[in-house]
Amino acid sequence: MATLERPPTTTQALTRLWSTPAGLVGWLSAVNHRAIGARFMVTALAFFLLAGVQALAIRLQLARPGLSILSPEAYNQNFTMHGVVMMFLFAIPVLEGLGMYIVPLMIGTRDMAFPRLSAFGYWVYLLAGLGLFGAFFLGSAPNSGWFNYVPLSGPGFSPGANIDFYAVLLTFLEISALAAAVELIVTILKQRAPGMAIHRIPLFVWSILVMAFMIVFAMPALIVASVMLELDRAAGTHFYNPAAGGDPLLWQHLFWFFGHPEVYIILLPALGIVSAIVATFTRRPVMGYTAVALSTVAIGFLSFGLWVHHMFATGVPLLGTSFFAAASMMIAIPSGVQVFAWIATIANGRIVLKTPFLYVLGFIFLFVLGGITGVMVAAMPFDLQVHDSYFVVAHFHYVIIGGMVFPLLGGLFYWFPKMTGKLPGERLGRWSFWLQFIGFNLTFFGMHILGFWGMPRRIYTYLPGFGWDFLNLVATIGAFILGLGFVLYLANLAYSLWRGEPAGDDPWGGATLEWATTSPPPQYNFRAIPTVRSRTPLWDEEEPDDADRARDHTRRMVALPDEGREILSTTVVDARPQGRVLLPGPSLWPFWLAAAVGFIFYGMLFDLILVPIGAVLAAAALVAWHWPREEEEAP
Amino acid sequence: MSATTAPPAEALPVEVSGTQAPLWWGMLVFLAVDSTIFAALISSYFYLRVTQAETWPPAGLAPPGLLLPALSGAVLLASAGPVLWADRGLRRGDGRALRLGLPLACALAALFLILKAVEFVARPYLWSTNAYGSLVWTIDGAHAAHVLAALLQAVVVAVLAWRGHFTPRRRVGVETAALFWYFVVAAGLAVYATLYLAPRLI
Ligand code: HEM
Repeated sequence: MATLERPPTTTQALTRLWSTPAGLVGWLSAVNHRAIGARFMVTALAFFLLAGVQALAIRLQLARPGLSILSPEAYNQNFTMHGVVMMFLFAIPVLEGLGMYIVPLMIGTRDMAFPRLSAFGYWVYLLAGLGLFGAFFLGSAPNSGWFNYVPLSGPGFSPGANIDFYAVLLTFLEISALAAAVELIVTILKQRAPGMAIHRIPLFVWSILVMAFMIVFAMPALIVASVMLELDRAAGTHFYNPAAGGDPLLWQHLFWFFGHPEVYIILLPALGIVSAIVATFTRRPVMGYTAVALSTVAIGFLSFGLWVHHMFATGVPLLGTSFFAAASMMIAIPSGVQVFAWIATIANGRIVLKTPFLYVLGFIFLFVLGGITGVMVAAMPFDLQVHDSYFVVAHFHYVIIGGMVFPLLGGLFYWFPKMTGKLPGERLGRWSFWLQFIGFNLTFFGMHILGFWGMPRRIYTYLPGFGWDFLNLVATIGAFILGLGFVLYLANLAYSLWRGEPAGDDPWGGATLEWATTSPPPQYNFRAIPTVRSRTPLWDEEEPDDADRARDHTRRMVALPDEGREILSTTVVDARPQGRVLLPGPSLWPFWLAAAVGFIFYGMLFDLILVPIGAVLAAAALVAWHWPREEEEAP
Repeated sequence: MSATTAPPAEALPVEVSGTQAPLWWGMLVFLAVDSTIFAALISSYFYLRVTQAETWPPAGLAPPGLLLPALSGAVLLASAGPVLWADRGLRRGDGRALRLGLPLACALAALFLILKAVEFVARPYLWSTNAYGSLVWTIDGAHAAHVLAALLQAVVVAVLAWRGHFTPRRRVGVETAALFWYFVVAAGLAVYATLYLAPRLI
């Protein structure tokens, strides 16, 4: 035991090895997974607020019939940007950022597999997001809806630059999502603590793993679709032009090959968050671990299958819709497995009703409701009735806000003490939850009915006398209550960061490894690499309430030599130690590479001459990035 | 509390390669992304052919010639040989195979690009002629860009090899570059089958 005790200089040496230089250059060259993960989350939340303001503008415009707060063109840009920003700049990046931050802690490693790639992904994300908002403030944001159908978005009907921003900047942005996905996969496969075999991976980590795989196979379709669209618009190709042998439906197929999985890409990590919170706040592991893990994988697979049936539907309408409906039913099975596992866990557990758990309860309620309306739209005659109406708007906000935003807010609250060392305010947390819950239902429940009554989506105003006035006013009032709830939530976190009570290492009594280190964790996460013998390593000590259990834990740790940024690589299935890997330290090259790649993409928007220049710069940055560091050259 | 069960870290190797190395897995996942891109492009090709065209190639265009693409395809396929030689050689500690194999492969890739350029220039239609032209130019162009990227990567690796950077244990850089090379060759075969064989065979 004592053989692993090291002289006190250990932590100093580790701190020196893993710290980031100060100053602006240091800030630009940071690669540590917690710094980058936090940047992803903070930036994504900022975009969330901006897209929320756009939603409020939409709701103001629709509060009464015949208002003219937004012009028709401004309305189009507002709802398109709202959808695009929520889906691409908020939902995916915030979950990836959370994964980047939490996963290495949860699996007991010191950083992501490719730290500089994390930083590169962040800069790409920031540059693309700023560009989209730049276009918005210049009044030429995308305006054809978030799924941007051709021919409306083609060169013939959208001559302005608006759609170029969509096609070019989304392609640029997806590089960031793909980079994060690659790293998350490799980190989870190769860097789990010794003993964290495949049947002991925390459920949250499972969900992030499946999300990352889905991104790998779904995003490229969107990239190909957008590149072909931009070529049609800028280079005179004819992919979507039926007059020259192209087909507008090709866009729809490629987009939905990405778009169907997309919904599950943002849903799955949220389910993982729920599993983590349920276990901690019921004081027991989620029941049916294997079933839940397998159903996570099954959802990943089936969400691609949905599209196949959807595609089938284009050729054989009636038969196809039956298949589509059947596939929708099938995906309800693994989702149902998870819901029942949580309910069984909750029913048998000792419940601690704190804010994160409140969010989970809200989620289960809203998710089940969204699921029911989902089954309703899966029925063909019903779908024809409510197609493109506000019923659909209500349905997908129930699924997305109920299914993803609520768990996310619960999860951020849950991990906030670990990230900052401060406890978030509980009272304000509850207030913000209830404001959001009530505001949300006020906003969106009535939209189901508006949909029945025939109100189409994506209209900038409506006439009085359809009987839509009252419900629209209610929705607008609800939206402001909901917005107040979000602002209160974020203000609570900001205030707690400044004034919160110290959290201690493990304020909620969690079972997974992130709670075994200090809050906030040191630069190197763990002084030595922990080993794991079960799914709930922190609950297995003889005396679960012993305050020293984290220290007990270190007795079984693997100490790495303090000679460089070393991590342990372990086998994919059994997590047996295989080797030590030296990670790179802070570097400016990720920033420069992102800038060079940005040059290529912005070049497409302004002048094609810039594209080859950017390509040369990017190649140079890549070479510099990969050039061996001195410590690598040492024999 | 049981005594420590963990192995001493000092006993573990520092330079890892192959499936032990995260970088190797990173390249594998990246190739999954890249394969999906090619799959989407090739599916689009067949989709437009099936839904839109009565004849293929459409609009009285002749099917692409066979000779030049077959020649460049053979050159590309051959280039995998020296890469394999270099990769295997390094594993055995044969630095010569590495130092000679990579430049040879680069030369073959450069030859491939020249042959492609000749073919591109001679094409009787442009990407803006019709959707068929758009598909051929885009898919072939995307693949040629991949060959160029593999070539540049191999040049960098070759320079490092000549400077004596790699050793039989420190070889993951060569392995991943080789993986990418094999992928580009395989993608080339898929593109060849799609653009040059399929219009004649099916
Ligand atoms: C702050 C609360 C929110 C409010 C009040 C709100 C409101 C709205 C409204 C009224 C529309 C319909 C616009 C129209 O059809 O004319 C809409 C569309 C949409 N919303 Fe939200 N929303 C909110 C949050 C979210 C979130 C969190 C997401 C996703 C993460 C989201 C994703 C979308 C999408 C994808 C559309 C479709 C845009 C399109 O038609 O192209 N919304 N939202």
